[in-house]
Amino acid sequence: MKSPTPTPTTTPSTPAAAAGDERRGSIELRRVRKTYGNLAAVDDLDLTVRPGEFVTLLGPSGSGKTTTMMMVAGFEELTSGTVLIDGKPVDRLPPKDRNLGVVFQSYALFPHMSAAQNVEFPLRMRGVRAGERRKRAEEALARVGLAGLGDRRPRQMSGGQQQRVALARALVFNPAALLLDEPMAALDKRLREQMQDEVKTLQRALGISVLFVTHDQDEAMSMSDRIVVMRDGRIVQEGAPEDVYAHPRTDWVANFLGDTNLLPCKVLERKDGVAVVDLGSWGVGRVRDLGARGDTYAVSIRPEHLRFVDAERTENRATGRVLSSTSLGATIRHRLRVGEKDIVMRELSAGTRAGRGPDDEVSVGWTQDEAQLLVLEP
Amino acid sequence: MKRASPRHPSALIASVPVFLFLVVPTAIVVPVAFNRSRYITFPPDQLSTEAISGFFGDPAWMSALLASLQASGIAVVVAVLLGGSAAVALHGRTFPGRAVVTGVIIAPMIVPAVVMALAFYQFFISVGMVGTVLPIGLAHAVISVPYAFLTVRAGLAGLNPALVRSASSLGAGAFSVMRFVYLPVIRPGLVAGALFAFSVSIDETVIALFLQSPSATTLPVKMFTDIQYNLTPKIAVSSAMLVTVATLGLLVQVCFTIRRRSIARLLPLTAAADQTG
Repeated sequence: MKSPTPTPTTTPSTPAAAAGDERRGSIELRRVRKTYGNLAAVDDLDLTVRPGEFVTLLGPSGSGKTTTMMMVAGFEELTSGTVLIDGKPVDRLPPKDRNLGVVFQSYALFPHMSAAQNVEFPLRMRGVRAGERRKRAEEALARVGLAGLGDRRPRQMSGGQQQRVALARALVFNPAALLLDEPMAALDKRLREQMQDEVKTLQRALGISVLFVTHDQDEAMSMSDRIVVMRDGRIVQEGAPEDVYAHPRTDWVANFLGDTNLLPCKVLERKDGVAVVDLGSWGVGRVRDLGARGDTYAVSIRPEHLRFVDAERTENRATGRVLSSTSLGATIRHRLRVGEKDIVMRELSAGTRAGRGPDDEVSVGWTQDEAQLLVLEP
Repeated sequence: MKRASPRHPSALIASVPVFLFLVVPTAIVVPVAFNRSRYITFPPDQLSTEAISGFFGDPAWMSALLASLQASGIAVVVAVLLGGSAAVALHGRTFPGRAVVTGVIIAPMIVPAVVMALAFYQFFISVGMVGTVLPIGLAHAVISVPYAFLTVRAGLAGLNPALVRSASSLGAGAFSVMRFVYLPVIRPGLVAGALFAFSVSIDETVIALFLQSPSATTLPVKMFTDIQYNLTPKIAVSSAMLVTVATLGLLVQVCFTIRRRSIARLLPLTAAADQTG
């Protein structure tokens, strides 16, 4: 298979540009609720996908992310609230009239149709003439790097090829937005990363809005303009991937998005986005503060944000002992004991000073912006 | 544990008597139909097609054949429509009482024929439907529905439920979903169900006997009543015909299965050859 290069030579009327309406391609959820009996699968959710934006719903299974997407697609009814597409309420529209391109985890290609027939299907449903249908399906297949493979049946194609067909089929009718439900889950790691890049490139080229559902934080980090972290049917935090990663509001978010060191603390003073905290044996330090309120607090420092420092030089600093150092290839992971607390730090192998062994006394430091005050969830 | 392969000589030797026991009584009616004698005898002393032409020249037998074909035609159409749509409706849906609904649909397979016959007899008398093939066809439809239902349901078991959602998200309404998603998957099941319904109806005797009238006598009923006082080779002719029809039906089904199997066997190979990521 050739490496597909999405080349949108004939810019297929990018949704945002086609209509003068500036809300074309937007998805809005207003106070959306979905309950099964007494259980709220989705609880008072407010969410907006702006035209051309790539928004990811990220959460563990049972967090309500797929239910949310199914309500947008029209497969699940809302208990209360409203969904708007292109600025218009769609609660009474059946899925077939919502004009959304949906890619399912299983791709859901029609097994008895060829790839081209699959891609033609939405055009056929819209009454497009056979000749034009064939032309547009060919273009769409070429766009996802499958030119010339239109005659294959889904069963004769690899997982990656099937996914590209599903993507072409979801895009060929110029939908208002694209909904992707864990579309990479069935692919192996290498192919998954390749597809992530391709989908992202295609999305940028077409300028189409995407609502993406995944439980994979790496996938969410690498593809999204905005991440919406969900837990128990609610949004716990949303923002740009790097912001959510660097500034988690709760310990749950911090742990869900990668590894972190959580140091319980007492807040002494909070002012202008900076908190002065008492970290016990770590002393008193200054950390970033997003203003989250709770009963108990902790400071989160990502392992890669800790570094070895010379004593007395950094403001935020603690002294401890190296317990072990493990090389992971590109990085080295150190386990340290500082006071009574075991912490993990990670540094690039390339810049490492040699000769740091177990039981060596070391000083570790961090900068104020890299340490985040957060609320410990009960 | 080593199991005896079906190709082992002893397995072959053991299966021959079983095969003969099952097939020979059925096969005997065929030469009998070609007998010249005025009575049913075996072995036939002189071969001729006299009985066969006699059968097709006899208006009473012809009307019985027609009644049978009409009844089974009704049974096939009704059973396939009802059984097929019931299977589609129940597919991928969970609700309280689903098992009960399924049980009711399948029940005619288990209820003794004579009980059903009595029930149909009383029912059709009370609604005034007597003297035509229609009640026989409808009764046969009831007992054929489970077959159509089960064969279609078996086909649907392999259907990815996301296909239905996928089709409707791409703009397909209920009719298109039926045509493009369900129909290709259930078509073999529908064909099998129709064949089953036909073979159930064409040789059903008990219910047809209860619901018979001079203007609605099916082939098996005519055979049964004739055999009691008039042992003509025409009975053998109609038996031979039923055997032929049943054999043809079986062959059609075997062909269907073989074709699908061979395709299924080839597909993983081609798919594997394409695994280049």
